[in-house]
Order: sequence, then structure tokens, then C-alpha cells
Amino acid sequence: MLSNRASAGLRPASAMVMRAIFLFFVGLLVVLPVVAISLEAFRSGFGSLWKQISHPQALAALWLTLRMAMIMVVINVVTGTATAWVLVRNRVPLRGLINALVDIPFAIPTVVTGMMLVVLYGPHSVLGALLGRHGVEVVFSRPGIVLALLFVTFPFVVRAVQPVMMEMEGDMEEAASTLGAGRMRTFFQVVLPTLLPAILSGAALSFSRALGEFGSIIIVAGNIPMRTQVASVYIYGEIESGNPGGAMGLSVVLLVISLLTLLVLNLLQQRSQRHAATI
Amino acid sequence: MRTLCGWLCLAMLGLTAGCSGQANSARDTLILGAYTVPKEVYQRELIPRFQKLWKQKTGRDIYFQQSYLASGAQSRAIAQGFDADIAALSLEADIERLRDARLITHDWRAAEHRGFITRSVVVMLVRPGNPKNISGWDDLTRADVDVIYPSPKTSGGAMWVVNAIYGSRLKQTEKDTGSADPAAARRFLAAVQSRVRVMNKSGRASVTTFETGVGDVLLTYENEALLRRQQGKDFSLIVPDATILIENPVAVVDKNVDRHGSREAAEAFVGFLHSAEAQRCFASYGFRPVNAEVTGEFAAVFPQPPQLFDIDYLGGWQQTIDLLYSSRGVWTRIFEQKSN
Repeated sequence: MLSNRASAGLRPASAMVMRAIFLFFVGLLVVLPVVAISLEAFRSGFGSLWKQISHPQALAALWLTLRMAMIMVVINVVTGTATAWVLVRNRVPLRGLINALVDIPFAIPTVVTGMMLVVLYGPHSVLGALLGRHGVEVVFSRPGIVLALLFVTFPFVVRAVQPVMMEMEGDMEEAASTLGAGRMRTFFQVVLPTLLPAILSGAALSFSRALGEFGSIIIVAGNIPMRTQVASVYIYGEIESGNPGGAMGLSVVLLVISLLTLLVLNLLQQRSQRHAATI
Repeated sequence: MRTLCGWLCLAMLGLTAGCSGQANSARDTLILGAYTVPKEVYQRELIPRFQKLWKQKTGRDIYFQQSYLASGAQSRAIAQGFDADIAALSLEADIERLRDARLITHDWRAAEHRGFITRSVVVMLVRPGNPKNISGWDDLTRADVDVIYPSPKTSGGAMWVVNAIYGSRLKQTEKDTGSADPAAARRFLAAVQSRVRVMNKSGRASVTTFETGVGDVLLTYENEALLRRQQGKDFSLIVPDATILIENPVAVVDKNVDRHGSREAAEAFVGFLHSAEAQRCFASYGFRPVNAEVTGEFAAVFPQPPQLFDIDYLGGWQQTIDLLYSSRGVWTRIFEQKSN
């Protein structure tokens, strides 16, 4: 809607130029590399691509990546929504500072994130030693992977939900409670449905981001094939050991999964927008 | 806005000045593409000493552009166009890649010391005082011992380590029964691998992991272990009876030196690396020298393991890579069998 209004304000010629620039850059920066990777992967035929993907270590790495990303998404949806809620609705002290802190994970090199987790939870740290005594392994194990993913993707859900929450401004909840709905009912039947598209959008973005995460994981995970080796680390190993075919195969799978996730998200959002428009 | 432009212009000027400084024709330039392990000895000893020699000999200054990457990555970078004059890498296979790419056209093995400039062996680094009482390969399969080495997929050093584990068991069976038993070697490699919790991408990263307190034994190059001890790190070092002799090659990259016109300097530098002076520098940084005279001087520092073997014992590099690390290789398949 916003874009319609904006382009209606421009003369047709400048609108055309804008569109051309937009298409050119999307083509150059996104479509071209993606097409290049896909072509490269299929160059030696579908059979050999499938052979690379179906290598036991590749499949195990992919499966581990998907599971870790799913766990991260579930946690992120809850904590991210709660964080947004607190930032919008509660008068917490230093709200401005906390709000700024949310984006910090975007600014920190992911390698440093990995190092930080190892220092925090490694056997030499107080926390790591305490957990170790109770038989809990965090770094060089799967919990470390989830922690790294959580840190790296934390801003997505918060930043997706926050603006929608600010627009709600509480009048719908007031209306619901005036009509006699309890707090739980208000939350589940009024608040949650309004937030859902935004939550899903944040979830899909963080999921896609997690599939490719490398820098923090290669430090935090043990990288043992079939146990703690994720897809991106497997891909890196294949490149480094002179088997780009194996790297391309799994990359294309990650690409397709990401694309499908974002596509489904877009469809859901369009449906909910149409739904909102008919009310 | 105007000040911003001013700053940008200034920055550009600085950049171009920097570039023209490097391209100054009154100075010779050499581009060194090396693996990461000998970085300290090149930077602190070998390059400054050679610069002095070159000045004495020719009256010209020589400037080094240095790049240090994991051996495989460096080799691939050069093969794909990084225009290094000299390739100093961890293993033969990485030099051979440059020959296959027709960048090295001379027979580098015909050079002095068969083209190698340093040697080392695979050793075990344990916690101070050896609290887990580790004395040899067999201890690495104990359930109370955690082992660390990097991934052979990304680290040339790790390939040497895995070769040492596999080869040491071949040696052992050969000694016990008279013939080397590949099946026993495979089982032993699987048993040691199952004690590994972390596989970092490089030898250096593995040392860092070990220093965070993870693991009881770190398998690494002897020189890496000696360097860490020189830096005041408190580790105990164990040289196993049967271990692999590591030989690190160096070669002039013909295509690049001919394009740069730097053949004379490059060959002089490689010659210098074989000299007794350079070999002493290597030895004082923990590398076993290839020069016979210097080897004698440092005999007490570098004990000779009784069952030392080299890569030819495993059939040479090409066969070892096929046998252990290919997609159906012994090391690669360990993981698949275990998951069943």
C-alpha cells in the first residue's frame, strides 16, 4: 500500500527508472550468485549431485542443522515475543539502552560470538565447570550450537514483532476485556492472532539465517562428522579438501529449504493481509 | 559535506601513495605464500636475515609480501591465481597441485634435500606433569582420555596426525607378527577417533581449544609443541616410539617469478633456506633441520624415535589420500560405521 502511494506520487518515467534500478540490483546482488551456484551444482548432472547430497555425512549434517535450527526457532519465538512485549509495554529502566542492545548480535563478528561462548561455558570457566560437574556439556556439543544460533538470530523475532505491537496500542485488548474476555482469552484470541504474521516472519528469517551460520558454530561445535558437524561446516570441509562438488550439493539443498521457507511465509502474510482487508 | 570529501580525498591519496611505494622499482619484491606454522620464524629470523644478505650481495633492498594460510588453502589460492613467487607448504601434495596447474614447471624434487627445508614428527602434548599417565599410542583409546586434533578435511597437519596413528599401528603389527595388518590399523584409528570430541579447522585452533582446558592429549607437530613451550605454556611433550617423519617442501613458482622478473631473488631465497644459517633458525624454532651439519648440532634437542617411518611407508601421498581421506577412504568411513 505504502509503495503504491509512493510510486503514484512519482512521474511514470522516474517510476520506471526506479524499478529498473531495483531489478538491476536484485539481479546483480542476489539472483546472479544464486543462479551461478545452482548451475555449478547441476553441471555434472543430477545423478552426481544426488550422490554428493546422499553421502551419509552430508545427510547427517543437514539433519542436525535442521533440528538445531528448529529448536532455536521455538525458543526464539517465545523469548523474542516476550522481549518485544517488555520493550513496548513495560516501563523498564534503561529501555532505550536495552532496545539498542537487541541489535548487538548483528554487529558482533560471529567468530567472536563462538569464542565468547567457549570462554563462558568452557571447562576453565566457573559456569562451565559447574555444568560439567553435573554432566552437562554445552560447548563442543549440541547445546552450544543452539546457544550460538540463538545469539546470532536473536534480533529477528524482536524486530519483526515490535512494530506490530506498537500499532496495537492496547485498545483492542481493552475492547476485549470490556466485552468480558479474561486475560488468557484476550491473549490467545485477540493479541496472538494479530501478532502471528509478524512472529512467523521473524521465525522464518531466523530459521533461514541459522541454516547457513558458520563462523560461531565452527568454534562452538565439536565438528565431529555424524555427531556435531552442521551443514555449513561440512560444506567448508568439502571445499577445503578439494571437493567443491560436495559443497555445491549441500549448498543447493540449504538454498532450496531457505527459499521454500521464505516463500511459504510470504504466502501466509498475503493471505492474512487479504483476510484483514475483507474485515 | 565538504570536509567529508576532503577526508575521502586524503584517504585516496594515502592509498595511492602506499601502492606506488610498493611498486617502487629500486626495490626487489618477493611474494611468499606459506602455511601458517612457520610464520614466526620467517618473520622474526629468516626474512630479516635474507634482506641483510641480499643488500650485501646486490646493494638492493628486498621487500617481502607475505601470506600465511593453512597449507591446502594456500596451495589452492596460488593455483587459482594468487601470484606467489615462492610456495612454502606443509606437504608434498600441495606443491604437486601447483605442478598439476603448470605453475611449477621445474623438477622441485631435484633440488637440495629433495626439495624439503624442514622436518618434524607427530608428537603428543599432555597436561603438565602428565596426570593421565599417557606414554604411547595405546593410551589414546582409553575411555578416560580425551584426544584432540584438527579435521583432516581442512588441516594438512591433521592429515599428518591421522597418518601417524594409522601408520604406527601398521608398524606395531609388523613388529609383532612380521607383516603389517591394515585391518588392525583401521580398527585402531577408529578407536582413537572415537575419543576425539573437538575437531577444529586448523592445528592452531586445536591448540587454542586445548588451552581452554578441553582434552587430555593434543596430537600435533613437534615444532608447534616446542613453540608453545617456548612461549611459556606449561605442557609435557611425548615423542612416541613409532611416529611419522614430516617433511615440508618449498619451491619457486616458475610462472609467477618469470612474470614478475623475480627468479634470481626467489632462487636466492630458497637457496638461503637450505643454508646452515637458516637451518639453525628453523631448529631454534622447533623444526628438525634437513642440513646434516645442523642436524648434528641439534641431536640432543630432537631425539630419534626408534620406529620412525615416512609417508612412503604408507605408499606415498597420492595413495595415502586415496586410502584414508577420499569419500570411501578409511578415515572418512569410520564415522559411518559408528553411527550404525
